[in-house]
Amino acid sequence: MSDTQTGGADLASAPEAWLRENPKLSNRQIFRHALARFADQEPRLVLLEADLGGGGDPFEARHQGRYFNLGICEATMLDMACGMAHVGHVVFAHTFAPFGAMRACEQVRLGMAYPQANVKLVCDYGGVSGAFFGPTHHAIEDLAILRAMPGMTVFSPADGLETLLATRAMIEHDGPVYMRLGRNRVSRLEEPRGDFALGKALCLREGTDVGLIAHGEIGVDVALEAARRLEGQGVSARVVNLHTLKPLDEAAILETAERTRLLVTVEEHNILGGLGGAVCETVCAHGPARRVLRIGIQDRYDPLAGSHESLLLGHGLESTAVAERILGALSRPQ
Amino acid sequence: MTAATTDARVERSPDSALGPLEAHARHIRRLIVRLAATPAGCHLGGSLSLVEILVALLGCVMTLRPEDPHWERRDHLILSKGHAAAGLYAALSEFGFFDPEELVQRYNAEGSPFTGHVNARVPGVDFSTGSLGHGLGLGTGLALGYRLKGLSNRVYVICGDGEMGEGSNWEALQIASHQRLSNLTVIIDRNGGQNDGPTESILSQAALADRLLMFGFDTVEVDGHDLPALLQALEAPPTGTAPRALIARTRKGAGVPLFKGKGPHYAVFSPEQLRRALVSMGETP
Repeated sequence: MSDTQTGGADLASAPEAWLRENPKLSNRQIFRHALARFADQEPRLVLLEADLGGGGDPFEARHQGRYFNLGICEATMLDMACGMAHVGHVVFAHTFAPFGAMRACEQVRLGMAYPQANVKLVCDYGGVSGAFFGPTHHAIEDLAILRAMPGMTVFSPADGLETLLATRAMIEHDGPVYMRLGRNRVSRLEEPRGDFALGKALCLREGTDVGLIAHGEIGVDVALEAARRLEGQGVSARVVNLHTLKPLDEAAILETAERTRLLVTVEEHNILGGLGGAVCETVCAHGPARRVLRIGIQDRYDPLAGSHESLLLGHGLESTAVAERILGALSRPQ
Repeated sequence: MTAATTDARVERSPDSALGPLEAHARHIRRLIVRLAATPAGCHLGGSLSLVEILVALLGCVMTLRPEDPHWERRDHLILSKGHAAAGLYAALSEFGFFDPEELVQRYNAEGSPFTGHVNARVPGVDFSTGSLGHGLGLGTGLALGYRLKGLSNRVYVICGDGEMGEGSNWEALQIASHQRLSNLTVIIDRNGGQNDGPTESILSQAALADRLLMFGFDTVEVDGHDLPALLQALEAPPTGTAPRALIARTRKGAGVPLFKGKGPHYAVFSPEQLRRALVSMGETP
């Protein structure tokens, strides 16, 4: 089976080399390859699909007996995941973010969060990455919903390597996890970074004027690019990749607040309830008088067709617009 | 045996004249009625309708070790109609999972696991239920999980007839049938009532047996108060790979003649109401 080793490198032992050999894979494709490879070592692992496996899934090819396409039944897929976890399986369930977080919301609450079931819900089509498919296939509220569930771990990885490492971390973590992915973007961050650990934010860039806190393949990319633009304008920007929205690395948020004059959250999610909400809650609860500029989906749906990029632009989720907003905010009295 | 004769035997005979399972049913009913007289009361009608089903399963059909509720070879019972918690708790205590007097003392009490909807912290309970339409999905997952492990543990799910209004049940029925989960048995407590009134006037579940049959279930209809009939249906060997469904025709409030066949969905009994209910059952108050 060559699905997970299209070149020569082994995904599990040499993830960076494997990613270099597979430069065209999107994050959600990387997740599928990673799960298939890690399942070699974890016989308890099963994958459930609700007719969005897409065909040709590397896990299905490699572990056919542990792959169940249950049909278009997202809600029951999540209840079943809880039942299977109850007898010792490590259950991954995949669907699109609007269906996992919203159609199956109560199953996620009662089947995953409340019993602390060892179920991992992995959803692509996060944010508006479903673009021209329309708002039925967008998920701008999922992180707010999942973050409000006690005991849930919530990941939003920024690139291929982080997706791969988060997949491994989910298997090792005994408990419910929601991992949110985009759709087709191929992202490979160049910045050197520390080791991936659940709940531990990563500082990608040091700076003193403004602190950008971001998650996901769009948020982190836009934040880094905005920081580079600001540097050209003489503004020093710190960039923090907050890949785990829950448990929240409050220390990293407060440290960024202490070291800079303005906090900026950048995410492909409604500005209400996601990272923007989490950072506001944290600074308000712990005291540093710091303004928070929230960049994200502007609390509205996108009813008209558009490319992913054009929809993001409409919400100001683009580095030039972000840099301009930051310059404007910094010029005002704090 | 007709339902009427079962009622007569359970309600009026001394324990010594009953078969052991019927005696269990009588004890469970007495306990449920006492739970209705605790400060917050209980979902009485739908707990009483379940009693013979619970006796057949917990007292006979299922492989269990009450002293070791997590025993790995046990069968599973999921009460999807989790509002009938009083009925399940009473039956679990009758079969030795915990002390019945502890249940009466702590039912709905501050800090107690005996909540008004089924709580997984109670010994013998695997999943918290009460939001309707989840038990079948959970049970389908358990059954698939056991089959994948090559184990023969069986899974029993009890749903209410009103509960079959939830679309998620029909998702789970399709999957259980498609995946050929012959280790799963669904029992529908067809008591004809739900929160706001008669099921047939709110959202009809007519032809339930036909519908389950068409969904691929090995389906039988039984008198849900007739213990021998229930046992025969539950213990019949599997026919092929189909999961099994029982439509158990029951009555809300069954076994308490005071209700004249129309037991309340929910009741908070005064001491006097408790006394009258027990007297009507031939019990000493």
